[in-house]
Amino acid sequence: MNIRWYHLALWAAFIIGMIYLPQLVSKGTLRTIIFANYLAIFAISWDVLSGRTGYVSFGHPFLIGLGAYTTAILTKRFGVPVEISIPAAVLVTMVGGSLLFLPALRVRGSYFALVTLAFMELMYQLVQVIRPDLTGGTRGMSGIQTLTRGAVNGYYLSFGLMASLGFAMWLLMKTRLGTALSAIGMNEEAVRGSGLNTTKLKLAAFMLSAFVAGLGGAFYVHYLGSIAPRALFDINFVFTIIVAAILGGASTIIGPIFGAFFLTFLLEYLRPYLPGAERYFIYGGIALLLYMYEPKGLHHVLQMALSAIKGKSRS
Amino acid sequence: MTSLLKVSNLVKKFGGLTATHDVSFTVEKGDSLALIGPNGAGKTTIFSQIMGEVRQTSGTIHLAGQDIGAMPTATRIRHGISRTYQVPRPFSDMTVLENIRVGLMPDSLTQMVFGRIDHDREEALALSVGLAPQDLLKSPSELSMGDLRKLELARTMATNPSVMLLDEVFAGLTVGEIAQISELIQSMRREGMTFLIVSHDLKALEPLVDRAIAINQGQKVAEGSFKEVMDNEAVVASYLGG
Repeated sequence: MNIRWYHLALWAAFIIGMIYLPQLVSKGTLRTIIFANYLAIFAISWDVLSGRTGYVSFGHPFLIGLGAYTTAILTKRFGVPVEISIPAAVLVTMVGGSLLFLPALRVRGSYFALVTLAFMELMYQLVQVIRPDLTGGTRGMSGIQTLTRGAVNGYYLSFGLMASLGFAMWLLMKTRLGTALSAIGMNEEAVRGSGLNTTKLKLAAFMLSAFVAGLGGAFYVHYLGSIAPRALFDINFVFTIIVAAILGGASTIIGPIFGAFFLTFLLEYLRPYLPGAERYFIYGGIALLLYMYEPKGLHHVLQMALSAIKGKSRS
Repeated sequence: MTSLLKVSNLVKKFGGLTATHDVSFTVEKGDSLALIGPNGAGKTTIFSQIMGEVRQTSGTIHLAGQDIGAMPTATRIRHGISRTYQVPRPFSDMTVLENIRVGLMPDSLTQMVFGRIDHDREEALALSVGLAPQDLLKSPSELSMGDLRKLELARTMATNPSVMLLDEVFAGLTVGEIAQISELIQSMRREGMTFLIVSHDLKALEPLVDRAIAINQGQKVAEGSFKEVMDNEAVVASYLGG
């Protein structure tokens, strides 16, 4: 494992800084940060799967939705306590993740992206048709139990969840498992040619990704207290997750966290000027700039800056 | 005694085309066998079938007496057979050492996560194939073709094979690099490694092998010592396009 003391120091500094944050900023800003925390969780989930293995998912809301709907239905319709409904939601999402995994055995590249997109669309259609008495149909659900009151508590919960998931995934991806998953992204044949069972590795990536997405989706729905299927199963939401991950720097875990915060605040400050579809221009613009100048994302820019400073102080 | 590698009556049909037509041969432990033939003769297809990347239409493949003909590629490699490719396929965004690390990995998720990385072994493998110490942290894009071939050999060795299949190891190399790789293979042979080698560079191939088989249009046309096979009329004719 390649972990140095300053890695842990940076994590500690980040966590301490975030603990003091609510005293420094307004409630409104705090709510924006809460959204950023959840977006970061979803971007981490996407990163573990797509950032690493190159199997680009356009259907992450399918996984997030499985987690969110499972716990929402269990708590609201059946009065199940959240202590049980949230683990159940995570479990259901992981089963769903394996379902999503099946096409990955056969197709990759843009076809895989299309299949995952179809999964998301399929789920959007299904929640409207199958048992709308449970799912709330087109209108979704509201009045779902919330876990916290007020922005400050909501912030701490979302941050705690994001930081622990982020740290755990970061540690895990620092091991040889992370190396092997990256290797799949670079050359799957050669990984098989090294005597490794790539199916098992990919399944592990899907399960991890689904675990994070399911947990994030479940907590998010208990923060919002409602589900709106049109906003959840929306290509816009997919783009937000993917752009956050690659903007920050795919396959780094830290990058997607950065990216989620950066993108959330960018969109928040630009909101007055962007009433609707213009945000697509932002996504397109960012993607184009990244592709042309910095395919490795902000994480890489910061790393270069750091090593430049180090280099200067040495000379 | 059972042969280390035994290929029997191998047939591969792609639709109407028979790419491998009833090919049989054996490789004994410590032996080195050349597989020669003109372009398109079906040499690489035979490699791919031995490795399980392409499934044979019929015929059997035994490794140390065990039938590996139906196993997936990764399992065959775990049983002790591995190959290099005509075009080296390194992991482009990893260092030389990380590339070798993938070859050394155990096929167990828990061991991958909790096991220790054997940095000494990675380094020893890299140096044993003749990579320079200052190259170990370079990325593959910074390496010459010769060094890429060495890296590929190191990654193949990392899986701890008892038989190595080398596909066009000399392609794209300079004269000096050919000499280096040739020396490397000969020293591995002295240590008892078993080889099956495909190469168009017959001059470079000759000192590396004990025996040869010649393939033309998917069929075995000759077998024997390297010299016998090279003098065989059918082989000469096939190379001349007869």
